[in-house]
Formats: sequence, structure tokens, C-alpha cells
Amino acid sequence: MRFVLNLALMLVIALVVGFGLSWYALTDGRLFGALQSGPWTTWTQAGSPSPDPYTRAYITRHAALQLGQAEGLQLVAATDSDGRALDRACRYRVDGKTPTATFWTLVPVDAKGASIARPDGPQGFHSTRVARANDGSMQLYISRTLSPLNWLEVVGDGPFALVLSLYDTAIFSAVGATETATLPSIIREGC
Amino acid sequence: MVRTLLYVAGGVLLGLVIHLIVILTLPRVAPNQAYLQIAATESLNAIQPLPVPAPGAPNPLWLDPDLTYAVCRLDLTNGPGELTGTLPLAFWSVAVYDHAGTVLYSTTNRDGIGQKLDLGVFDPAQTRLLAEQKIDIAPGLLIVEARTDDVFVVVRLAASHPSMRDRYQAQLKRLACRNITI
Repeated sequence: MRFVLNLALMLVIALVVGFGLSWYALTDGRLFGALQSGPWTTWTQAGSPSPDPYTRAYITRHAALQLGQAEGLQLVAATDSDGRALDRACRYRVDGKTPTATFWTLVPVDAKGASIARPDGPQGFHSTRVARANDGSMQLYISRTLSPLNWLEVVGDGPFALVLSLYDTAIFSAVGATETATLPSIIREGC
Repeated sequence: MVRTLLYVAGGVLLGLVIHLIVILTLPRVAPNQAYLQIAATESLNAIQPLPVPAPGAPNPLWLDPDLTYAVCRLDLTNGPGELTGTLPLAFWSVAVYDHAGTVLYSTTNRDGIGQKLDLGVFDPAQTRLLAEQKIDIAPGLLIVEARTDDVFVVVRLAASHPSMRDRYQAQLKRLACRNITI
């Protein structure tokens, strides 16, 4: 009887560890192929011709049209800089500078990748259409209520994520590039 | 107690093996949904615009609403593929994917290509024939070697203003996507 119980315990642990670790690796993925910088997460090898096995599995699971390495890089933030999940009931300020790129877009999306911006307005921020400070920094506001400076109105309720697509960028692609990469912070201003 | 701990350790080790099997076999057993979606469009040897979903509609391919997309699927069993044409004076990029969704090759117009896109996709056997000068190709063709015969090419075009999107879409439709006759 004891042998059967021990065997059952071993199998339960094996299944929990095996599938739990796989689920974690392909969702959060920080200990595996994903790279995190502040609230931003990216799979740096997703656009590579020979991705590592974790990235390959992520590509299958995510099923998106990944940007090729030469095209750019997509970063996703599902939390603010303090680690709290992004919520449409709150007002957020994306503050700082972006890495060098020909241009970038910042789009708020729901879990299915759909834009949650007001349907008859712009679907996201575009680097060529934002006002900046003299030092090149920017303050982008994302909220349901009127905000100053660069404001993107979102609709609906519930969690969301911010997708920052950097086109023609060298971020994370060279030795030491991670140290020089500057990504904006996401600050929750109120709910 | 010691025996139970040994079973626990065995469970963890077995779990790690399951984890590795899941990670390594997932891309083989699960079809890439992006590829299936592209294959469902009539894009074999034809350029097809890839519409960005309306605001609020599911966006399974995670397309950027600021960009204009076109896709073309090539079956290299009928010969090498090519995608040629002229693109507007704006940022554009092109990426070649295999059926697993892996980007085999990508480039942008910032890499000195300019407005003219002349991309040739060859499988390993065709590349060998090319090296042996048994295939005649147009000079200046950008050659990409694909590991498989079933590939698709995605062109991304960034309109400098949303009002130019329709014009850019029309220009994307004029790209030629076909097999090269050898």
C-alpha cells in the first residue's frame, strides 16, 4: 500500500512540475527565453532564424507574426513599473525615452491582442506623432478620462497590456546592448 | 521517510523530463496557428493584403494597427519563388517565415535596398543548382535559402500618415509573387 501511495505521489509531483514548469516557461518565461527590463518583457530570439527550443515553443504557443531580427523587436508590459497589473480603470503615464529605432508604436491591447483604444480614434501612439520635452523624453497618458499632453483614450474594463514595437532597432542585439537600453517606465497615477 | 523523499526527488526529476519533452515536442505536434491562418487565405503565389482587425476585434496575429501588411505563400516544390515590385518611399520590411512561424530571413529598406524589392526564395537543392550556375536568375535578386518548401513572405509597410494607407495598400497589391520558371 505504501509503495502505491509513494508511486502516486511521485507521479503527481512529476505532472505538476512537468506541465507547471512548461506553462510558466511559455507565459512568463523570464527564467527561460524571455528577457525582462522593468515592466517590459520580450523574447529576443523570437525573430531569429534559429531560435532556442524555449523560443520555438513560445512561437508555436503565441502564434503571432513575429518581427524578424532585422525588422525590429516587440516588447510587452502587462504590469506597471511597481509590478501591479495594468487596469483600464486607472490612468497610466508612460514616462521616459525609448531605445534608438527608426520609429516605434505603442498600442494598448486586451488578452486577444485587440486594441482597446477608442474605436474612432488613433489605435496607439506613434513616435512621429508625440510631443516631447527638450531632452527628447516623453510623457504618454493612457486612460479612459481626459489627460494632458499625449493622451490615448481607452475603452472598456479589465486588464490590458501595452505593446511597444520598435522598428529597425539594435536594442538587445549587440554585446552590452542591454545595459544601454533605455525603456520608459509605466507609472500608475490614479484609479 | 527517506524512501518517501526519494520518491519526491524521483517525481521532480521525472517532471523535468516531462517539461523537456513538452518544450521540445510542442512545435512538432502543434501546428502554428499563424501559418494556418495565412494558408487559409488565397495567398499561394499571389500577394494578399492582410487586414488589420478592427478596434476591439480579436487580433490573433498581433498585427500592429499602424502598419499595412501583405502576405504571399510560396510552394518551392514548383521551383524557386520570387517576390518583386516597387514599394513607396516609406519604411517597409520583408520577412520570410517557414510553416512553424520561424523567421528565416528579414530585412528592411533601411539596409540599402531602396524602393525596389527583388527577393528570391530557394530551397537547399535549388540553392545548390544556383551555385552550379544551372539556374538563370535576374541580376540583383536577393537570395534567401529556405529549409522547407512551404514558406510565406510578409511585407510590412509603415504609412507616414493614416490617410496614405489605401494608396500604400494598392501599391502592395501590385507586388508580383510567383515561382521562377527554370
